[in-house]
Amino acid sequence: MRNHPRTASLLLAATLLAGGALAADPGITDTEILIGDVEPLTGPPALLGVAASIGHKIAIAEANNAGGINGRKIKYVLEDDGYVTARTIQGAKKVIEVDKVFAMLGMSGSGQSIAVMPVLEKAGIPTVIDVAPVKLLWEPPRKNVFVVGQSYEEGIIHLVNYLAEKNPGKKWGLITQDDDYGITVRDGFDSVVKSKKLNVVYSGNYKKGQQDFSSDMLQLKESGAEVFLAGGIIAENIAMMKELEKLNVKPVTGIFWPGRVEPVLKLMGPAGDGIFAVDYVEPFAGEAGKAFLEKAKPLVSEAEFKGINRYTMSGYAAAKVLIAAIERCGKQPTWACTISELEKTKNVETGVMAPISFGPGVRFSNQKLQIMQADTATVSFKPVK
Amino acid sequence: MRTGDYKQTYGELVALIDSPPVWLWSAVLMLALIAAPYLLNAYALSFLMIILITVTGALGLNILTGYTGLISLGHVGFLVTGAYAYAILVSKYHMPPLVGFLGAGLVPALASLVVGAPSLRLKGLYLAITTLAFSFIINTVILEMRWLTNGARGISVQRPEMLGISFESDAAFTYLCLGVAMLTLLATLNIRRSRVGRAFVAIRDNDTAARVMGINLHAYKLLAFVTSAFITGLAGALYGIYLSFVSVEGFPFLLSIEALAILIVGGLGSALGAVLGTVLIVLLPEATRLVFSLFSAQLDAVFTTGAQELKSMLYGLVIILFLRFQPRGLVGAWHDIRRAWVNWPLRY
Repeated sequence: MRNHPRTASLLLAATLLAGGALAADPGITDTEILIGDVEPLTGPPALLGVAASIGHKIAIAEANNAGGINGRKIKYVLEDDGYVTARTIQGAKKVIEVDKVFAMLGMSGSGQSIAVMPVLEKAGIPTVIDVAPVKLLWEPPRKNVFVVGQSYEEGIIHLVNYLAEKNPGKKWGLITQDDDYGITVRDGFDSVVKSKKLNVVYSGNYKKGQQDFSSDMLQLKESGAEVFLAGGIIAENIAMMKELEKLNVKPVTGIFWPGRVEPVLKLMGPAGDGIFAVDYVEPFAGEAGKAFLEKAKPLVSEAEFKGINRYTMSGYAAAKVLIAAIERCGKQPTWACTISELEKTKNVETGVMAPISFGPGVRFSNQKLQIMQADTATVSFKPVK
Repeated sequence: MRTGDYKQTYGELVALIDSPPVWLWSAVLMLALIAAPYLLNAYALSFLMIILITVTGALGLNILTGYTGLISLGHVGFLVTGAYAYAILVSKYHMPPLVGFLGAGLVPALASLVVGAPSLRLKGLYLAITTLAFSFIINTVILEMRWLTNGARGISVQRPEMLGISFESDAAFTYLCLGVAMLTLLATLNIRRSRVGRAFVAIRDNDTAARVMGINLHAYKLLAFVTSAFITGLAGALYGIYLSFVSVEGFPFLLSIEALAILIVGGLGSALGAVLGTVLIVLLPEATRLVFSLFSAQLDAVFTTGAQELKSMLYGLVIILFLRFQPRGLVGAWHDIRRAWVNWPLRY
């Protein structure tokens, strides 16, 4: 009879342990932790998605080489959505329900990541988004979704403010795409136009997928614009700059970070020399960028190394933050603990952007911006002092 | 002695279901569909939802292209109009979801009058190009009418609650999609066997002969457009709810081509064909991935990280193979198998 309390305690402990095991969050075994990702890996946006996934792989390889997360190796599950919203939702459901990952990274483009929010929120899975930082992802803040980056509006405001200060009294021209991205660029631009009373002589809008900018650039030339904000994403900016080169005009030009990738500069050729860009990740021509490339080289294949661009850095930073949060949870990480630790992220150094912080109810890292300038001789963007 | 399946009365000819085994299989399929949301995981369930929504849209297009022979390359225009109509009414103006669904059908139906009326004298490629232009115009109108549509920013859409039933969960939403798909199937089957449906088919087969028989070509072509757009609009609303976010980017032009591919692969002019075609086209990449994953993990990875390119290639390949070897689609193949089964061992 005297043994009964002890037996009962043992039984209770066993039940709790068993219950704990049953209630464990998915994607975690004694040896592995699965991290999932859905990116556009095919089609034109693959330039962004593939690069971001390489950034995740670098951070994961780095952590695995250091012994993994508290002894568990990280396994990366990657799914292609081809930039198709319905496929992003299905991809997220696949990695969460079929592959049963422990946490998520990346999450495709802006429209796609907005559409997938209900799936992520309902699943409750810790998620760090790094490809397309748009306000709808963090306003209102969602318990389990964190965003590393800076808003497009803030980026444009920073760039236009810089160009306005350096070019006082000049005539301005702007062209934007007829989509969500274009509206954001225009909104950011308009807010500075009001505050700085800029003289806007040309304001154009082009249809997504447009390749021929001859008429738009001719109008820009005839307007006499001296400072030009090229609101294209990738191929459009190249076409615009080439067209301006043909017309023999070279306004002071600003572009935005989606187009601040080296292959774009290479395709622009001399036409792209000296253009200004804004970004929150370090340029590869700087010390931090060079150090990152050195670090990345042994961790990825040759083909992957060639695919590195600025999105690799944002992907790397997001993965570092997530891995650090899981690590802080110790031997038995859970979703609840990971989310709580992500929330406690304070000034985490990644080496590729300013320190990252979140906080209670703060799900957006709000990265510091910097201006850089293109140098076609070295096919790189260099920070502007 | 009967040597085949003959229809001896007009009633038999127009019966929706003409034999007990078909009743039995239909009941089994229905029970399986009802049980599916409780048996499938969220990923598999997402395929079922997509299939049911696509079936609804494909049945809508089948009325226009399959029954009436009017080729549309711009049906995604009606799909996106339906989605926006629902999103604007329910998310922006907080109308009841039932009103939203009604609007999702009526607004594309009205839009179809705009595109249908000038298209009455057009056929074949000319009509296809007109409808294609319509889908681009619709996108531009949506992007420009920012005060109503939020332009390119899109509109978030919540899962609805109707008649006291919440469709928040995936299982409940699947039942809503199933209900709409079943009602659409029944409606299109009934249209096909009615006077209107026979008029549609007469126009498809020979519009001059149809006019000689007293069929008002203008009225029936417009009716086909309106009915098709109404149903496609409903599918658009469901698709918008599934995506939870309606924007023109979520409705790429390729959806129109995919819908035509579904009809060709399934069997043009057949409701069963639209269903079979949808199942094949939606599940083909996933089924192929599963088969390849049995042989090699590397192939599985290729299907995961290059899914969209492989999907396009598979669609193209299947369409080519069907057009070359089975132009009557899956329904044609099914009829051949059935005939062979009934007539075996006598070929003729």
